[in-house]
Amino acid sequence: MAEKAILYDSSKCTACRGCQVACKQWNMNDEAIPTIENGVDSRNWGSYENPRDLSPATWLKMRFTEYEGGGKLQWLFTRQACMHCTDAACVRVCPNGSLYHNEATGFVEYNKDTCTGCGYCVDACPFSIPRSDRNLVFGNAKMDKCTLCTTQGLNRLDAGMEPACVKTCPPNALIYGDRADMITAGKARVSALRANGSPDAVLYGESELDGLHVMYVLEHSPEVYNLPVNPKVSAASIAWKDVIQPIGWILGGLTILGLGINFIIARKAKMNREQPVKKEEEK
Amino acid sequence: MVQEVERYKKPVRILHWVHAGAFTVLFLTGLVLFIPALGFLAQDSWTRIIHRVAAAVFIIAPLIYLPLDWKSSWKGIKEAFNWGMDDVGWLKAAPAYYFLADEEAMPPQDHMNTGQKMWWLMVIIFGVVFVITGIIMWVFKTVAPAALLQWMVLFHDIAFIATGVMFFVHIYLSVIHPLMRPTKTGAWSSMARGKVSAEYAKSHHAKWYARIAKGEEKKS
Ligand code: HEM
Ligand code: SF4
Repeated sequence: MAEKAILYDSSKCTACRGCQVACKQWNMNDEAIPTIENGVDSRNWGSYENPRDLSPATWLKMRFTEYEGGGKLQWLFTRQACMHCTDAACVRVCPNGSLYHNEATGFVEYNKDTCTGCGYCVDACPFSIPRSDRNLVFGNAKMDKCTLCTTQGLNRLDAGMEPACVKTCPPNALIYGDRADMITAGKARVSALRANGSPDAVLYGESELDGLHVMYVLEHSPEVYNLPVNPKVSAASIAWKDVIQPIGWILGGLTILGLGINFIIARKAKMNREQPVKKEEEK
Repeated sequence: MVQEVERYKKPVRILHWVHAGAFTVLFLTGLVLFIPALGFLAQDSWTRIIHRVAAAVFIIAPLIYLPLDWKSSWKGIKEAFNWGMDDVGWLKAAPAYYFLADEEAMPPQDHMNTGQKMWWLMVIIFGVVFVITGIIMWVFKTVAPAALLQWMVLFHDIAFIATGVMFFVHIYLSVIHPLMRPTKTGAWSSMARGKVSAEYAKSHHAKWYARIAKGEEKKS
């Protein structure tokens, strides 16, 4: 299988949130509101954006942005869900490889059974995507995020289907296929938008973090949509994982080796010094 | 009977062992997140729960001890920061001593020798680093800015590497090193029973021994 990707076209999106629903339905992520019996976790907070944030059971939500530009008010939509980065911060910081890349598709999958609940990915993700319910006293937790429909037992891709969100999208704002084809399609759409009154249109994700596997066609600069213009793995993550930890492994190894060598040399030295004494005792 | 001198009072020894126990548990339950091959042990957060229980002991034990005996606590802490020329001499002479059993160049040492002091100083400094970074990652995990939490793991790890390595050296030099055997007179005895032989005190901690011999100082 070639490297795959989702292409989301913000200019075609109607924010019907069908993808949000399809995602929950396929992945069995029901979410009940504690205050209303059998209710869903959605309540009016003055915006169509609902629920307010991602959660362990909400892997995808539409984000609504009101934007004033060129003398008119625009209502802009984007997805908020895992971008399936090539240089994925979450994969870098995961202590035991519970988060990993699918070698074929390039998607970032995870094994929830082996997740330790450290929450490092939650803090490291440049898009602030992973979520976990955490017991604050004992710290036990499990991370969740978009699996791109590769959830164990519910794997649509292996079954030859497209992701649930893509399948459901009425205006075809979401399409899925080989990443190279998605880039071509995205670029063509950006050119068309630029020629038709959106000079700032961009394809987001072609080269960010060595290439995202979820790319966006945007009519404005990414920051208008609350997206990082230049997403990066944080300096703290790199200093920690690529400098401090390797130093730790080396120092630890050298110490044990050094103490072993010291033991052998010192024991001999001590025996050499004690020998004359022993001989005298024998007399 | 061998003449003996008291080196550590009982409360100090209890604190030492309680803290050492908590440290060992924290070390092992932290190690599983540090070495990827051991990561499967941390699955389902159970080592995290143990890490927190041990952290509570690690924090509370000294807090109970300090007010029990402010005076000797303060004296002990000052000791860690009291460095002089004999410490430089010790560092220079240490390789010959620890590798070749050559005591010649060892300058006289006080209640703690330079190596012990170094470890004790690290325990104080990195103990504080562990507690601050650990508590932020524990209690403020859901509210602190992500960037802060990431730096906290990094500093927690630096403390872990520094003290972890010295922890091995500490155990090795207290009970395993050929010159520390038999263990019943020296370092092990001082923490296990609180006493060392006068002979040992004289040869290993001459400055301190001179003071107790004059009766200026009884215990610490
Ligand atoms: C004294 C208070 C301490 C507290 C409150 C504390 C708390 C924490 C917390 C909250 C974490 C983050 C990961 C998790 O939630 O499991 C952690 C990780 C860790 N702790 Fe501690 N800890 C303490 C002391 C220590 C000590 C004494 C050691 C070792 C000697 C240690 C070694 C580690 C290691 C190695 C990690 C994993 C870091 C990594 O992922 O590389 N901790 N600790
Ligand atoms: S968007 Fe966040 S969770 Fe998704 S792959 Fe990138 S770093 Fe990981």
